[in-house]
Amino acid sequence: MWKHNIKLTFRNFKRNKTSFLINLIGLSTGLACALLIYLWVNDEMNIDKFHAQDDQLFQVVQNYERTEGIRSRAITPAYFSKEMKDALPEVIYATPTNNEYNFTEPGIISLGEKDVKARPLFAGKDYFNVFSFPLLQGDKDQVLVDKNAVVISEELATKVFNSTENVVGKMIRWEHDVFDGEFLISGIFKKLPESSTEQFDVVLNYEHALDPFEESRNWWSDAARTFFILKKGTDLQQFNKKLTTILRSKPYRENCSMFAQQFSTRYLHGQYENGEISGGRISYVNLFSLIAIFLLIIACVNFMNLSTARASTRMKEVGVKKTTGASRWNLIAQFLTESILMVGLSFVFSLVLISMFLPQFNEITNKQLDLNISSQTLFSILSIVILTGLLAGSYPAFYLSGFKPVNVLKGKLNNLFGEKWIRKGLVVFQFSMSVIFIVSFLIINQQINFIQKKQLGYDKSNIVCFTSKGQASNKLESFLNQIKRIPAVESATNIEGGGFMGNKNNGTAPTWEGVPVTQQMMVPRPHVGYDYLKTLGVELIEGRSFSKEFSNEEDNVIINESAAKLIGYENPVGRFLYRGSDYKIQIIGVVKDFHNESLHKKIKPTFIRFQPTGKDIMVKIKPGQEVATIQKLKKTYEEFHAGFPFEFTFLDDEYQNMYESETKVAALANYAAGVAIMVSCLGLFGLAMFTTERRRKEIGIRKVLGSSVFGIVRMLTSDFTKTVFIAILISIPISFFIAKSWMANFAYGIKLSWWLFLVPSLVVLLVAWITVGMQTVKAASVNPVHSLKDE
Amino acid sequence: MIQLKNLERYYKSGFQKSWVLKGINLDVKQGEFITIMGDSGAGKSTLLQIIGMLDAANKGEYNFFDEEVHRFNEKKRTELYKHYIGFVFQAYHLIDDLTVYENIETPLIYRGIKSKERKPLVAELLDRFNIVAKKDLFPDQLSGGQQQLVGLARAIIGKPKLLLADEPTGNLHTKQGEEIMKLFKELHAEGMTIIQVTHSEKNAEYGDRIIYLEDGYVREDKNVNELLEKN
Ligand SMILES: Nc1ncnc2c1ncn2[C@@H]1O[C@H](COP(=O)(O)OP(=O)(O)O)[C@@H](O)[C@H]1O
Ligand SMILES: [Mg+2]
Repeated sequence: MWKHNIKLTFRNFKRNKTSFLINLIGLSTGLACALLIYLWVNDEMNIDKFHAQDDQLFQVVQNYERTEGIRSRAITPAYFSKEMKDALPEVIYATPTNNEYNFTEPGIISLGEKDVKARPLFAGKDYFNVFSFPLLQGDKDQVLVDKNAVVISEELATKVFNSTENVVGKMIRWEHDVFDGEFLISGIFKKLPESSTEQFDVVLNYEHALDPFEESRNWWSDAARTFFILKKGTDLQQFNKKLTTILRSKPYRENCSMFAQQFSTRYLHGQYENGEISGGRISYVNLFSLIAIFLLIIACVNFMNLSTARASTRMKEVGVKKTTGASRWNLIAQFLTESILMVGLSFVFSLVLISMFLPQFNEITNKQLDLNISSQTLFSILSIVILTGLLAGSYPAFYLSGFKPVNVLKGKLNNLFGEKWIRKGLVVFQFSMSVIFIVSFLIINQQINFIQKKQLGYDKSNIVCFTSKGQASNKLESFLNQIKRIPAVESATNIEGGGFMGNKNNGTAPTWEGVPVTQQMMVPRPHVGYDYLKTLGVELIEGRSFSKEFSNEEDNVIINESAAKLIGYENPVGRFLYRGSDYKIQIIGVVKDFHNESLHKKIKPTFIRFQPTGKDIMVKIKPGQEVATIQKLKKTYEEFHAGFPFEFTFLDDEYQNMYESETKVAALANYAAGVAIMVSCLGLFGLAMFTTERRRKEIGIRKVLGSSVFGIVRMLTSDFTKTVFIAILISIPISFFIAKSWMANFAYGIKLSWWLFLVPSLVVLLVAWITVGMQTVKAASVNPVHSLKDE
Repeated sequence: MIQLKNLERYYKSGFQKSWVLKGINLDVKQGEFITIMGDSGAGKSTLLQIIGMLDAANKGEYNFFDEEVHRFNEKKRTELYKHYIGFVFQAYHLIDDLTVYENIETPLIYRGIKSKERKPLVAELLDRFNIVAKKDLFPDQLSGGQQQLVGLARAIIGKPKLLLADEPTGNLHTKQGEEIMKLFKELHAEGMTIIQVTHSEKNAEYGDRIIYLEDGYVREDKNVNELLEKN
């Protein structure tokens, strides 16, 4: 039976080469997209999942209740882990590590002449009991007990010692801008998997992360991330209450609470709202998966439509087989074999497409996906293929196998009416999806264009950013002066806090007259050096900028217009703000509002403070002289920072990075839109071909009766036009809704004007016309003699 | 074997019924060779299709081996097609994508007979019908007569008890027709029950009973021998 079915399938492919090709191209493109996305989704879902006690490995998240809402961050006081381990028997192991804000820069491990860059992690003694990163050498209970012990990675050991043997017990030197010293290697850990979010080359005792920062051991400071292994079967809600109780028993923590989140879920669910997990990357996983499914369905629709359109040629076969004793299930099996084989062949072809596009896809997604997949993934992929085959084949199989032999043998097609509607419905679905994809594509690209063109209130062009590292901080002023002496440097400034223009440096706002001290508000509070406004080109409305001509600039503040409005002083310059009851800050200037955060957020009241020691440097260069000037900057930098390479970014790029996810989605939308319209048109092409073929004789007769070519083309296309038109009508409200909810992510964005919906509709309509038109013009131009004589 | 009592078949168009068959009473005993004749549109094909259970009567009784046919579901009918009934069509209705050999083999596949056991069965028929040389050709490479031989081979390979043939020679020239009719005669001699529809008196003479249909009624039901004696 199988042999028979497979044989018939291949004969059928051979006989109908065009629809075979249409199906092959459509299905393999759809499958390639879906499988690429599957590889990505699979990779995302496996991030951090490899830990042996994954279901027991938790991280503490802290909620800060403030007037403007609850803020959640996965950081805790330094000694919270010790406290919770001692107090709660359900905590089996707990460890602190340095928080994600300190030690973001790598240090240098050196031995003799060798210098190797190394990313540090500072961790408590049970770190390797909590995280199951296997140790090649060393005892996981012991490696971090000693304060001067250090655990290094396999790769680092190989780089420094050319071997992982006889490395334990040796001394190495550690250099970092924050601290340095000599350390004794106590263990080597195996290469960290790529699917780990935790990435580091050396693990040092956690105390070293605290030593350089005087206040980090205080209970009001959050110098740690806290990880722990929780006993199986613990009631999480009760447990969270206990965490909060411990925390609140400490000073300064009465407005904070805590909850435990399974560590491996943080990668996809790393956003919080109102003190609860609210999503994160998972929304992209869902979006991408949805797009994959839709692309696959669009491809399957072609198969369904072409199979049913060809029904009349298959009907005789169905009828005859039934009278020779084939059951309905025999026939269903035959048609499903056909679709699964079709999809299987397309799968092979899609592997070729995938290997062609994988590098590009990896670039978009920032991953290193490859086709060396595990047997488990292979199993899932084959399941996808078979499911696709069943999906594509189900409708034709049930539809065709349901023919009554008597009707077939009489040559009558009595349920054709319903069939035609289903086919139209499927085409409507395809083209609706195409319009939706194209509208999304257009709107995302328009918004990205908007983001790039937006007047930001400052000039981000030709600004080079880099960080002064190591021990150079005491020479910072002369370093900056040296930079300013480079002829093509227009201006240079330094800020504290890193991130985009120091905007990570958020904090509570000062208070002002008539406002109670208790009212706290989180605001951007960049701490900047001289020439900040000049370098960025921020416009000063009133007052002055920070200047060397004045002393005590630390006690002054420059505010933006929004802040001025909020404060409500009539002539703000010269008036005072307060921090606590006895610290007064004088307003020396007001600047025009500028976008110091991404366009997702409304401009906030901003308080610019003075701090001459900031290490993040921004240099404005005259246009046209970037390359030469950067060379000079590099030379100057290396003079002041022996051993540190000059690593810089452009402010332009940093700005662009804030829209990384939008850019990614845009890239995906481009492909999705392209594939959707291509595959849909392929299907339409096939349908048009069958329709014209079926009506060949009618066309001939009409021509003999005097119809023009144009008249016939119009007759043949009007049906398709209507179908595509319905698709457009359905898709516009849907895409409007999608666009509207996407645009809600932005405080500043494009208007959703009508042409954003009209243009995609016209494009789809036009492409559909061309597709159908090619077929019909050909059919209509045929000399009727040819189509009429062969009967 | 077959009993039809007061069988009616009509089509509704609007509120009007138009009868194709009315008051049909018919008894077919096993081993008979019956010919149905009548003008075009008399209802011959419809009757044959009802007997073959491809179509159902609107009214009346139909018993097949003493079982009421209107109680049969699709599964039961499939069983009957596998083991009891074979069809031969005027338009041959061979499967275009299959070779002669494969077309003949198809019913055996649905009976779940293994490839090894199918071979001798098909070979025997190819031999008997003198089409061994054609076995690897596709239907469109055959003449009409050859196609109908294949159709007949396919119909009888399962050794059905009942062979139904709707104008099997309708598209064939006389000589090809004769060949088919001789085979019918042989099959009949081997004990197969045959019901055929034909316009040809000559073909009718191969059988042993003729039923004349006229506007859906049985006008005459005669023994061939009687008829021959009369002439
Ligand atoms: N589905 C149908 N709807 C209406 N009338 C039908 C249908 N099928 C057959 N008929 C009518 O039934 C009559 C008998 O048809 P048929 O049995 O094919 O006649 P025959 O084979 O004797 O030439 C014809 O007049 C035909 O028009
Ligand atoms: Mg007829």
